Amino acid sequence: MIGKLKLSLPDGVQDYLPDECYNKRRIENRIRKFFYLSGYNEIETPVIEFFDVFAGVKPSIDQEQMFKLIDPEGRILVLRPDITMPIARVVGTKMANHPLPLRLFYLGNVYRYGEFQAGKQREVAQAGVELLGVGGPEADAEVIAMAIQLFLDLGLDEFQIDIGQVEFFKGLIEEAGISEQEAEEIRALIDQKNMLALEMLLKKLPISEHIKDTMYRLPQLYGDSEILKEAMKISRNPKCRAALENIYQVYGILKDYGFDRYVTFDLGMVQSFNFYTGIIFRGITRGLGYPVCGGGRYDRLVSEFGRDLPATGFAVGIKRLLIALERQGKLEEIPQVDVLVVVENGQMGRAYEFMQQLKSRNKRVEMFLPTGGFANPLDYARERRIPRVVEFKEKEGVVEHEVDFEEDTG
Amino acid sequence: MITIALAKGRLMEEAIDVLEAAGVGCGQLKEPSRKLIFFTPDQRIRMILVKPSDVPTYVEYGIADIGIVGKDTLLEEGRSLYEMLDLKFGQCRLVVAGFPEKQDTWITRSHTRVATKYPNIVRNYFSRKGKDVEIIKLNGSVELGPLTGLSDVIVDIVESGRTLKENGLVILEEICSVSARLVVNRVSLKMKNREIKALINNIQTVLEERRNGEVN
Repeated sequence: MIGKLKLSLPDGVQDYLPDECYNKRRIENRIRKFFYLSGYNEIETPVIEFFDVFAGVKPSIDQEQMFKLIDPEGRILVLRPDITMPIARVVGTKMANHPLPLRLFYLGNVYRYGEFQAGKQREVAQAGVELLGVGGPEADAEVIAMAIQLFLDLGLDEFQIDIGQVEFFKGLIEEAGISEQEAEEIRALIDQKNMLALEMLLKKLPISEHIKDTMYRLPQLYGDSEILKEAMKISRNPKCRAALENIYQVYGILKDYGFDRYVTFDLGMVQSFNFYTGIIFRGITRGLGYPVCGGGRYDRLVSEFGRDLPATGFAVGIKRLLIALERQGKLEEIPQVDVLVVVENGQMGRAYEFMQQLKSRNKRVEMFLPTGGFANPLDYARERRIPRVVEFKEKEGVVEHEVDFEEDTG
Repeated sequence: MITIALAKGRLMEEAIDVLEAAGVGCGQLKEPSRKLIFFTPDQRIRMILVKPSDVPTYVEYGIADIGIVGKDTLLEEGRSLYEMLDLKFGQCRLVVAGFPEKQDTWITRSHTRVATKYPNIVRNYFSRKGKDVEIIKLNGSVELGPLTGLSDVIVDIVESGRTLKENGLVILEEICSVSARLVVNRVSLKMKNREIKALINNIQTVLEERRNGEVN
């Protein structure tokens, strides 16, 4: 029956009512300003793109994750499941001649099926930065420092940036010379920190004891910078050692910024190792069981769009930030209207001019329109916590009232 | 404070034994009560009792930092968690079972009806084998499926195999073995590392003592 769904929403999307919307916009505005002041330029790409942008590249996004549409020519379109890939497309094509490095940022929604987000969200508001064209640790440190600064500015309590390096694990896999499927099994178990199953799997594989031992210790190599020393001690392979050197360099810069206390490490962080090619990181905070932000280095993606560029960046989930801030008591109420204007017939012109003057001085102002609920403007002002009422009357002229909020508590 | 989600049902008693042996005071839990939330005497650990299939959910969302639940439930729910310890109790096997005489025909038939409490496990298992099956989700007494003609086979956990035998069913394939696991939320392990690591170490010591006890 058509019409039976007219009062509800599809799964995974939500309305942002004024209280939440005010905080969402406030946070987005702060993020926008901070990214802008950090020398990044905002970029906007369409919500609808060709399926191939996400499915025809390596690594691709699983097709069952994507919202699909068909265009009049029969081609498959998707609601973008990610914004980094469209930015890579733009950088590889329309911005191919722009000088490097490129610093870009975005705020926008991505769309995915699946339960990958808290509250099973399928429309996910994100903000993020991409730093393209620089491969060194300075670039990785820059984006990690931005994530830390952002959380500090937003007043998030007790957060950590957990840093990994996927090349460490890739180095071990290369040295072991095992099949892709075996590597994937090992990766999944390391990612779950499943020591027992990992031990049993490694026992079966024909690889050297030394590599086995290092792989077996990977799930436990998390914590403060001590674990880097430990990893250095057991690493012989040049790729693994280079990965650790790289973390040390990034850590050194973050230490100079005084940010070392916000940083921990996890060499067993191997979740999306097909996409990332170096440093990866996640931001976590008290009161939220899943990360607020994630990012890392992805040096191979842009070449899929015709330009071979190193790149790094991160994205933060706006809804996740809102949940964390709410749990930590950091959301704000919508500021009340400053002045209520009451107008008698014939005084509209004067009143309007007065209201415009207030707005130009950044005051919120509202005209009183009597309704069934409130016939008296002072009652209305008291209810809405509006501190000042200005009446434009035909005989008495302009009459001002300071509203006493105490009266209604008695 | 850390929160532990315990699966009500077959794993509950042994989970409490392990926790007690590891120094987590579960006294409150042993008294008959309808309460769902319990605290250790020192108030440092909170325990919540939930349906087994809800344990991974509570832990993934971070409402519980730690969960104790069967591997079968973990496979079925497919949540993103750290699976840090095999607690060794609640051992059983996840199997495909059916009538012995149909053993050959059902494997070769192109369309098999599978009754189960574990639709996701069944889907993954058979799709890995390149077999299309019709999954019939049941909530209990799965053995009735083949007996009543609702399904050709079942996928379920088997401890001794007595229920199967008494109903004339046999194990056709073994999918994997199952036992109770300790899972940890991915953020909690980092944000509450000291408390959680200490508890895990204590439990590990208990498990080792038990294993040594069995050997001697």
